[in-house]
Amino acid sequence: MGRVLDRLAALRAAGTDWYATSKLALIVVGSVAVLLGSTILQVSFGAYPLTLGEAWQTVFDAEILFNPEIWRWTFLGADVPEWLTRQQVIVWNLRLPRILVGAIVGANLAVSGALFQIITRNELASPYILGVSDGAGLVVLLTLTTFYGLMPFLPIFAAVGGALAFLLVYAIAWKNGTSPVRLVLAGVVVGTVFGSVQRALFFFIDDLGVAMSAQAWLSGTLMNAGWEEVRIALPFTVLAMALAFAVTQELDVLLLGEDRADSLGMPVEKMRFAIAGIGVLSTAAAIAVAGLIGFVGLIVPHMVRNIVGSESKLLLAGCLFLGPALLVSADVGARLALSPVQLPVGVITGIVGGPYFLYLMRKKTNLGEL
Amino acid sequence: MSDGSLRNGREPDDDAADRSASSTVTSTETNPEPTAGPEASDFSGSDLVVGYPGLETPVIDCESVAVPPDAVTALIGPNGSGKSTLLKGLANKISPDDGTVLLDGRTIEEFGSKELARTLGLLSQENAVPSGVSVVDLVERGRYPHTGFFDSPDESDLAAVDEAIQLAGIDHLRDRDVDSLSGGQKQLVWIAMALAQETDVLLLDEPTTFLDPHHQLEVMEIVETLRDRGGITVVLVLHDINQAARYADHVVALKDGSVYARGDPGEVITRETLATVFEIDVDVVETQHGTQVIPLDPLHDDHPA
Repeated sequence: MGRVLDRLAALRAAGTDWYATSKLALIVVGSVAVLLGSTILQVSFGAYPLTLGEAWQTVFDAEILFNPEIWRWTFLGADVPEWLTRQQVIVWNLRLPRILVGAIVGANLAVSGALFQIITRNELASPYILGVSDGAGLVVLLTLTTFYGLMPFLPIFAAVGGALAFLLVYAIAWKNGTSPVRLVLAGVVVGTVFGSVQRALFFFIDDLGVAMSAQAWLSGTLMNAGWEEVRIALPFTVLAMALAFAVTQELDVLLLGEDRADSLGMPVEKMRFAIAGIGVLSTAAAIAVAGLIGFVGLIVPHMVRNIVGSESKLLLAGCLFLGPALLVSADVGARLALSPVQLPVGVITGIVGGPYFLYLMRKKTNLGEL
Repeated sequence: MSDGSLRNGREPDDDAADRSASSTVTSTETNPEPTAGPEASDFSGSDLVVGYPGLETPVIDCESVAVPPDAVTALIGPNGSGKSTLLKGLANKISPDDGTVLLDGRTIEEFGSKELARTLGLLSQENAVPSGVSVVDLVERGRYPHTGFFDSPDESDLAAVDEAIQLAGIDHLRDRDVDSLSGGQKQLVWIAMALAQETDVLLLDEPTTFLDPHHQLEVMEIVETLRDRGGITVVLVLHDINQAARYADHVVALKDGSVYARGDPGEVITRETLATVFEIDVDVVETQHGTQVIPLDPLHDDHPA
């Protein structure tokens, strides 16, 4: 009898697991489909148009995909192989890296958004909530206005600026430990001051071109994304994702509130700081190559949570797929909607993200609590 | 974070039989010194001063509390008498400004955080419910102190979760979303999670407050089962004096941050004590269902009872 009961329990457990996994599978399959569709559209349209079939063939060309020379070029920064045709160069050197950077940035923003929402226990938190965006933005403006010669290091400066602002937020929030509310408020304090200084710096820009690039950077764009950007962002992304998935158990416990987490033997302050650190690393990798793209880190964890629930492992896995799908498809719109004028992708995510929040506001009564 | 060394520390469920043997040794007025020996899960606080940062006067001022091992101890007292504060001080959730808490002969600061969580569990009044999580998954998080950084739950974890769910009587809810449960059912889930922690000492802060009578009785039934099974020391804050009278082996009455009376329920729950501690006039009657306290009137300073 006991055995039968055990078997039943095992079956039931497998059943619920399967249900949760199937919902995750839905996100994964859907995201991959959107990603593939966007890739083909992005590759085929533009100043040098290809048919959809040609686009597909060029992207999934086994001769290129499995060629070590191509790998050396794309990931190690060797010269472009000379035997590539013009069409292949356009696809592989101009259009594909942009998609890849988009996917990397989308994954980073979505996963770090999920991390920040968990540590602040606030559904309205974004990767930029703890001052990261404002620190990065200020440094970018400073570089563009005063240290123009250092432009090549802009991505690294931005990431460092973001990390410093995050530390400042933490220092301000600290008073016998932190709390989610104190962290968010400290983020607002730092954001307000840095934002004002940022806007003031705009008045010191004489050159319209510099002002435009500053503006594009602040709204987030993939316009200049190439293999160089892939090489900058990829290692940090892989590291951040590995760390994020290593702490899913900790995230689950942290979600129970500080008291409960503490009773379960978690050093809450240390853990929260460590997880915020992972989030900042991930956000910085995204900011470094694409600037400040809004809303992705806010809405993607939200959408995934609505489908798979708040189990961290499933949530992060869902974000890892849906983030790239959303960002890459938004970038298709940014590049092709008003062609030949390209919009920053952050403009599109904002235009799409706003109404999604309006919809949530109408639908849910207690939006915000996690 | 990873605590391979800690995992070999004290495992709960050592030897319940040993502990129950020693429970008779501890009388109502134990001195706070630990009785040396591995058999009992000794738990006591001595000369505790517990307060909150920013408050000038401590809430608990120089109190010693010895909790009889392997028994149920109820803390009673009016609002603001420091029951919850004392509990948090005992659990090291607020570091006492002075005094020591001894657990199994060691001061509580000596324990690593996960090690402490394997020995002592505290369920607070307020708990955050994450959305879209099933009961069984939530209870499983109680196993956190037993799992290392890279471990995933193993057979023993799943067995502990199952047992906790059975004990809390929520097997029929195990696959439900915690979101969708009533307040009383949620409380049972939280208790199941604390049980899955498999600690020697379990502290419950007002586990029955805000619950309907049915769920209050469900909660107290769990406490009764724990008492009957033995092997665990339970300390709980209760607002309902009748529950304390019925379920506790030992009652501590607090007033203004100090212990006013302690001892067997029969010694503490008397008309005189309750008049002083709660400022109420009561009738204590023996019924076929045990001692019953019938509150009559509030006492005011101008006309003492």
